[in-house]
Amino acid sequence: MSEKDNAHEVESSEPITRRKVLAWLTSMGILGSAIVSVFSNFVFIKPRATYGLPTRFSIGTPNDYPPGTRIALGKERVAIIREGEKMAAISITCTHLGCIVGVADTGFACPCHGSRFDQDGNVTGGPAPRPLPWYELSLAPNGELEVDKGKEITPGKWFTV
Amino acid sequence: MVHSMKKNNFLTTLKEMPMSIWNSVFRNNLPHTDLGRSKTSFTNFFLHIHPVKVHKHTLKPWFTMGLGLISLFLFIILTVTGVLLMFYYVPSTTQAYDRMLDLRGSVAFGVFLRNMHRWAAHGMVAAVFLHMCRVFFTGSYKKPREFNWVIGVFLFLLTLFSSFTGYLLPWDQLAFWAITVGTAIAGYAPVVGEQMRFLLLGDTTVGQEALLRFYVLHIAVLPIVMFLLVAVHFWRIRKDGGLSRPEDADVVETPEVTAPASVPAPAMAMAAASGSSGIVVLEKKHYGIQGLVRGPFTKVGNVPENTVFSYPNLLLAELFVFVLTVAGVIIVSAYFNAPLEEPVNVMHPPNPAKAPWYFLGLQEQVSYSAFWGGVGVPAIEVLILLLVPYFDRGVKGVGKWFAKERLLANTLFMVFVVVNIILIIIGTFFRGQNWEFVSPF
Ligand code: HEM
Repeated sequence: MSEKDNAHEVESSEPITRRKVLAWLTSMGILGSAIVSVFSNFVFIKPRATYGLPTRFSIGTPNDYPPGTRIALGKERVAIIREGEKMAAISITCTHLGCIVGVADTGFACPCHGSRFDQDGNVTGGPAPRPLPWYELSLAPNGELEVDKGKEITPGKWFTV
Repeated sequence: MVHSMKKNNFLTTLKEMPMSIWNSVFRNNLPHTDLGRSKTSFTNFFLHIHPVKVHKHTLKPWFTMGLGLISLFLFIILTVTGVLLMFYYVPSTTQAYDRMLDLRGSVAFGVFLRNMHRWAAHGMVAAVFLHMCRVFFTGSYKKPREFNWVIGVFLFLLTLFSSFTGYLLPWDQLAFWAITVGTAIAGYAPVVGEQMRFLLLGDTTVGQEALLRFYVLHIAVLPIVMFLLVAVHFWRIRKDGGLSRPEDADVVETPEVTAPASVPAPAMAMAAASGSSGIVVLEKKHYGIQGLVRGPFTKVGNVPENTVFSYPNLLLAELFVFVLTVAGVIIVSAYFNAPLEEPVNVMHPPNPAKAPWYFLGLQEQVSYSAFWGGVGVPAIEVLILLLVPYFDRGVKGVGKWFAKERLLANTLFMVFVVVNIILIIIGTFFRGQNWEFVSPF
């Protein structure tokens, strides 16, 4: 009699009841779908195609930029600089927080947080952490200059026309 | 005979129909008894957010200064005016700015609604911040209100993010350069920074995708999250036993008839009938419904208490704050137009390019270091704010402004507040072209 009682007790302390199975399945289901939905939502809102500008573009012939030129191309976000026969394409996106720096004869200055750069884009003041990058300039077969914003070059590496 | 009675019944039914409908909607008439007053709060969906009775200390205007309520009412004004503005707004880089101009030219009350929306947003940032200061300086974040403070910190961040996503929508110069700078700051966050920036912009550069994303955040995601958090915030105020109050707030001014705890209510009533102020005790016993439901915080029966009925005392105070808030927003909107800068010029940021006042402290900070000013220091500040109630475990000085026992905590928080205000003042008045230091004098 008492044995039977004991057996019953052991059984009832760890019975796999229908409710327990349901609870387990439900919690796994909820947890699983929560994880999957968070993950897939991130995948969903991360765009696969972007519509930004092409990194490589033509800027006209060297004659469009007479010696002494320091001009900003706003849409492309580069400054084209020519000193004698040497040319360079320097980024005008501030390395601090992405504002467009103003181009002057003495260098570059950012209106947003006061970063300042010298004529070659080296930081001379303010919070900018890095100098303005230089981009590769090349002469296409049709005689037009091309800037490739995908290719950064060492600052000071001028392109000779 | 039977026939005529039926007809009669039908006529009476018809005649009584308006009252039947009315009574089915409003189950209580305007109350004239205490029982009615408690029922009013208890049975009305919109009023049952209130407890039946509220502590007198809670109603003291200088304790809360109504700042939480003002935040709520500004949130409601923002929702209403925002939905109205949505009828005319298009989240497109080519149309958004023109739509702003249309509000001026061809929409009745267009400018006025836009003003209300903008000034209420500015007001809400200020009100929520001041509310946070009130809660801190009165020590109201202490046990059991720790988690409501945490919810509050999230509400503050959501308020800031809502106003940020909002002022991008006109797609003027301010909008464009604010998105540029704001998402660049996000890019400085360690590890996930660049990913986060890409997700926010939906592209590699600031453009149509970014505008659409910020629009969705502004009109759907953020308001829904805030609505839910505000609901939890209020529910927890109730469950935490109402607003904080000093320990001595329960002392009753009038002499109290103390009935032995074991005496049942009817017997107490009999005893009280002979005394003069005993009836008060009886009423508490009978109508402290919320006390019975709520548990330990609201005192029931023979414990001294200092409460009044929420209807009409609390309701009236709230409606008064509501009227003040609406009036304030309307007056400001009638006299000052919401700013609208030049249309976007991707070549030239305005010089200086300044954020709205509440972000100028942050802008001043990032002008020293993008990472520390924009990510590091704000993250540490938020973390400390979130953990404040778990650092400060003392129980003294709750429910009093600038309690002596809380001198250290209050001083530290005051330093935090003052430093941020100074940064905002520097950013607003002492920064000129190219963010160079200028003197306003
Ligand atoms: C959308 C923003 C917010 C709304 C609408 C809101 C609303 C309210 C309201 C109506 C009250 C009742 C008392 C009063 O009016 O002061 C309250 C109390 C409280 N709030 Fe907020 N609040 C907001 C943000 C915050 C923030 C930013 C904090 C702190 C970080 C906070 C922490 C608290 C706490 C701890 C209480 C209880 C105070 C006490 O017991 O005395 N809330 N809130």
